Amino acid sequence: MTSIRRWLLAALLAALAVAGLAAAAATYFSARDEVDTLLDEELRQVALSLRDHAVLDLRRLESVAANPDQRVLVQIWDPAFDRPYVSRIVGDGPMPRTEEGYVTLVHAGRSWRAFALYTGRQLIQVAQPTALRTELAARTAWRLLMPVLVLLPFLGLAGWWIVGRGLAPLGRITSAVKERSPTALTPVPSDGLPQEIRPLADSLNDLLARLDQSFSLQRRFAADAAHELRTPLTALNLQVQLAERAQGDEDRARAFERLRQGIRRATRLVQQLLTMARLDPDAAAAPPAAVEVGTLVSSVVDEARTTARERSVELACRDTSGGATVSGSEDALRILFNNVVDNAVRYTPPGGRVSVACQRDGDNVQVAIEDTGPGIPEEERDRVFDRFYRGRSAAGSGTGLGLAIVSQVAEMHRGRVALETAPAGGLRVLVRLPVLAAESASTH
Amino acid sequence: MRILLVEDDSMIGESVSEGLKAEGYAVDWVRDGQEAEVSIAATPYSLVVLDLGLPRRDGIDVLKGLRERHVDVPVLVMTARDTVRDRIKGLDAGADDYLVKPFDLDELTARARALIRRAAGRSEPVIERGALIINPATREVTWQGTAVALSAREYALLAALAERPGLVLSRAQLEEKLYGWNESVGSNAVEVHIHNVRKKLGDGVIRNVRGLGYTLASE
Repeated sequence: MTSIRRWLLAALLAALAVAGLAAAAATYFSARDEVDTLLDEELRQVALSLRDHAVLDLRRLESVAANPDQRVLVQIWDPAFDRPYVSRIVGDGPMPRTEEGYVTLVHAGRSWRAFALYTGRQLIQVAQPTALRTELAARTAWRLLMPVLVLLPFLGLAGWWIVGRGLAPLGRITSAVKERSPTALTPVPSDGLPQEIRPLADSLNDLLARLDQSFSLQRRFAADAAHELRTPLTALNLQVQLAERAQGDEDRARAFERLRQGIRRATRLVQQLLTMARLDPDAAAAPPAAVEVGTLVSSVVDEARTTARERSVELACRDTSGGATVSGSEDALRILFNNVVDNAVRYTPPGGRVSVACQRDGDNVQVAIEDTGPGIPEEERDRVFDRFYRGRSAAGSGTGLGLAIVSQVAEMHRGRVALETAPAGGLRVLVRLPVLAAESASTH
Repeated sequence: MRILLVEDDSMIGESVSEGLKAEGYAVDWVRDGQEAEVSIAATPYSLVVLDLGLPRRDGIDVLKGLRERHVDVPVLVMTARDTVRDRIKGLDAGADDYLVKPFDLDELTARARALIRRAAGRSEPVIERGALIINPATREVTWQGTAVALSAREYALLAALAERPGLVLSRAQLEEKLYGWNESVGSNAVEVHIHNVRKKLGDGVIRNVRGLGYTLASE
């Protein structure tokens, strides 16, 4: 596992070391230049001062043994002598004669910087090992580099502590998240967080808030569902007891028929609950497909024909939508139209009529389902879309979920459901769904 | 003994109504709060069985309204709201007892008996009127030491007369206690039942009070 702390520290120390070395190198080269100028001048001065002593009498001068303390080597050539005077003996013989001016040469296995000056018949040479210059420059560079090297371990310790301090808010968030239980979705404290970590805390809190909302929706749905299941269970419980104490075949048959109705109703409620749970927006994972509304509505109407015949309800369907398609889930839309058509057929008294019309209306497909049933009073029309709301006129076996499902599916498809009074006095349900974008563009 | 059942769910309403009728009660069944108020104002009930989640007018409001008008009919609340707070709210609004859905028919009828008994000012579960002993829980009737088998209506007739000592009930009052709204009542139905009871228990058990109606023979 990578550690930000270790990485930061290593990178910082390495950068510091590189910077120190670079500075030392730069210092070395510039110091070397200065030392060159300075010592060259020194060589010249020595040579000039020797010349100014007029003609040197080489007989009075004596060579001395090599003395390392002597910074310069002086060599004087005179035509009167076959050997030059040397200030100290270095190597096997004298340094060769050179042209007047500065020169760098190798003598006795070492590199020398020499200055030569002609005075009439004598040649004065002043020389110095170049190693001296390198040493001086290196010493200057070292003086600069040494404190950096000494400070590095201390900087390392300080850096370890400082980076640790800087990362402390991360640790606080981690422990705040670690300590919470899966159901406690309160936001983590984001006050006083540095601006680098604040976005993390904020987006974490945003996620927590959305989770909390979705959890409480689920919880409310589960609570509502459990509550709603009580009604059919109560009915079943009572119906079983009546069946148990029924006397005579006729009573018993009636009790069992009621029991069957009760079971049908509980089953239907459970199915609707499942449908509702599957329609949950988060669960809608399937990619949207193109659905031809007219064809879908016709097939839903065909399925309802048996029930309609049993109830002696006339069922008609007209499709003038011209194959208009919407984008969405065919299964969900089938559930929508199934619910509306089924409701219309069930609430229409025998001899009544249910008519379904599907047509194109601008950028929408509009499906109108009309019946000749009792309708829904105007004051109840908003509430019937609420989950588990059951209208006053609703016959016993409704689950209170049908229209909630209808409006949820319509919303999923960015459509609308409206309730109106049909011309014949019953209910008219208007479902409007926007047609596929590509298709609506091509018609304009 | 006439009971008002207020329940908007048709399956539950039908079953409870049937169960209570089988116990010999006359049952009127309404489906919303407004109808409940109208019925209670018009008819003297021995008991109101009230669902709380009602259309048009909430059960709790109906209950509060009753108690404000000093109607002291016993009220048995049946509801799916089962938190302690809901129960306290219901009882404080004037309910006499509380039944949480789903419940047993037997429990409902037992609680109904207890409430009716309490409202009549009795604490013992068995009614004794001289040689007549009535057990509302088992609907067994003993006359002079021997058990007598009675039909539901005959039992209801005896139980109505035995509700308080010395109670005199007119034919119309008896009719009201024995039959719900939807039941067709023959013009001499009450007399027929009285005749049958006298045949089974002896003429002396029910006495005519001239101009007033009927009462149980004392001793």
